[in-house]
Amino acid sequence: MSTLTRPSTATATRGAARAPRPGVRRQWAPYLFISPFFLLFTVFMVVPVGAGVYLSLTDWAGLGSPEYVGLANYSRLLRDASFGAALANTAFYTVFAMVVVLPLALLIALALDARGLRLRDFFRLTYFMPVVLSPIVIALIFGLIFDGEYGLLNATLEALFGVGGVSWLTDPWWARVVVVVLVLWRWTGYLTIFFLAGLQNIPRELHEAAELDGAGVVRRFFAVTVPQLRPVTAFIAVTMLVSTAQIFEEPFLLTQGGPGEATLSVSMFVYRAGFQRQELGYAAAAGVVMFVIVFVLGRLGTRAFGVGRNR
Amino acid sequence: MSTPTLARAPRAGTTPTAPVTRPARRLRPGRVALYAVLGLLTVVYVAPLLWAVSSSLKDRSDIFAFPPSLIPDPATVDNYANLLATQPFWRWMLMSTVVAAVSTVATVFLCSLAGFGFAKYEFRGKRVLFDVMFSSLAIPFAVIVVPLFVLVAKLGLANPFFALVVPWVAPAFGIFMMRQYTEQSVPDEILDAARIDGCSELRTFLSVVMPLLRPAVGALAVWSFLNSYNTLLWPLVIIAEPEYYTLPLGLQALFGAEGRQYDLVMAGSVLAAVPALIVFFVLRKQLVSGLTAGAVKG
Repeated sequence: MSTLTRPSTATATRGAARAPRPGVRRQWAPYLFISPFFLLFTVFMVVPVGAGVYLSLTDWAGLGSPEYVGLANYSRLLRDASFGAALANTAFYTVFAMVVVLPLALLIALALDARGLRLRDFFRLTYFMPVVLSPIVIALIFGLIFDGEYGLLNATLEALFGVGGVSWLTDPWWARVVVVVLVLWRWTGYLTIFFLAGLQNIPRELHEAAELDGAGVVRRFFAVTVPQLRPVTAFIAVTMLVSTAQIFEEPFLLTQGGPGEATLSVSMFVYRAGFQRQELGYAAAAGVVMFVIVFVLGRLGTRAFGVGRNR
Repeated sequence: MSTPTLARAPRAGTTPTAPVTRPARRLRPGRVALYAVLGLLTVVYVAPLLWAVSSSLKDRSDIFAFPPSLIPDPATVDNYANLLATQPFWRWMLMSTVVAAVSTVATVFLCSLAGFGFAKYEFRGKRVLFDVMFSSLAIPFAVIVVPLFVLVAKLGLANPFFALVVPWVAPAFGIFMMRQYTEQSVPDEILDAARIDGCSELRTFLSVVMPLLRPAVGALAVWSFLNSYNTLLWPLVIIAEPEYYTLPLGLQALFGAEGRQYDLVMAGSVLAAVPALIVFFVLRKQLVSGLTAGAVKG
């Protein structure tokens, strides 16, 4: 209660020295606090996106000045089978992440949410572990396992079933499967902890009320769990969308985009065009196309689910 | 809340206590299946790591031996010795660690500050600015990598310590996370009290808010450290001189240079994973709870 007498003196002395009213300080303070983000965001994101749009209209090998070529890069992209393959592969990875990884993570979270489960923290942390490892380390480890001739997987299949010699990394379809397995291995446990936190956040009374109303397990899942998980699902879906849309390390290291271009991703396409073939304008155009696709999907996703807002 | 019927009312009183008092000693088939599945998943997650460690301890010619054996025979640390003797491995690790540590300190500070700004102030344009910040999450890196490279190179900022740190120290995800946490765990009364005591806004943030954010700061720090420590594409693009290679970059170059041989890179991978795993295990509780705190509330 002693503080009751202080406001007048405190503001009077400080106010005279600095700002006329405490309210004024409080008005610019938030702008100051968020300004570092907006400064960096402008310099290292907005400007590059703008520069990327400009570069995409030019032909440039990195030396001299860019030569304006209009929409030539875009029409070339349309006709470029490699870019089509990269888009299709990336779409495949992303759809897989949404359709397989996400539901699987939810299932595991449901299993971990079982009442009275022992070792819950152990399981949760074990499944979460891959995401702390560098993708490059993961790709190297799985290179060892999926090696077409002597890899652990082929050797195990050989020993167990007498069939081996699957060309995991050199068969177009198997190579895609391997990339997707890496995505699955790396991300499922990470998403699981979000779902689990979401599940644990659902008030128990909701389930009990539904149970009393005669709803079975399945019914309760769809009537209580799914709607309650909406915010966390939205967050996860957008995170996954953006992460898998820019998948790079797994195909880059494990298959180098091959065989042929069977596992080439858009990020790899951009890297290859820009930094291995010195076609910076063309690479920028591919980046812009990807930006439009991901950004529109991402915005639609956040809009649809209302992520990031407190309602 | 609908009014319960008379028949249901007494049951409602007993259900909450029932699961607690009933001991789950007898193992039901459902439980067995549950543990079996979870155990199998554990194998799926642990086995590749064990295999990596095991392979790194094998002779080069034994790595792909048939039949495969988990126990290296003969076990040897030659791969590690060769790696450390022929490659500047410690240099890569030092580079990665220093860059990650500096990034982490800056990221934690800037994200907490911005998160506090968004959580505890009302100001004009807040909604729009927050939306802009949040939607920057949906900008894929592949889009800006080419122009950003050009920009950084043209402006003469390609100094590795600048290029690997500065552009990435205010990630939107971190700000979002800190905003959510600040909203939940910093009561307005404390801020008012600090202001009444004559603290400036920045002072309030540093001495009153920051201590309350401890758990989330831990999570953000781990997240940020690992992000920086593990990243490959940007260093691959911007770092030209081998003396500034980061760990992922060094491993990648080594794998290419050795004709995709696994003996040295496996040893390197195992060593590279150690700091990441240590950081993870030390701060695991904070990481998991802090990461999810924001997303759950939405």
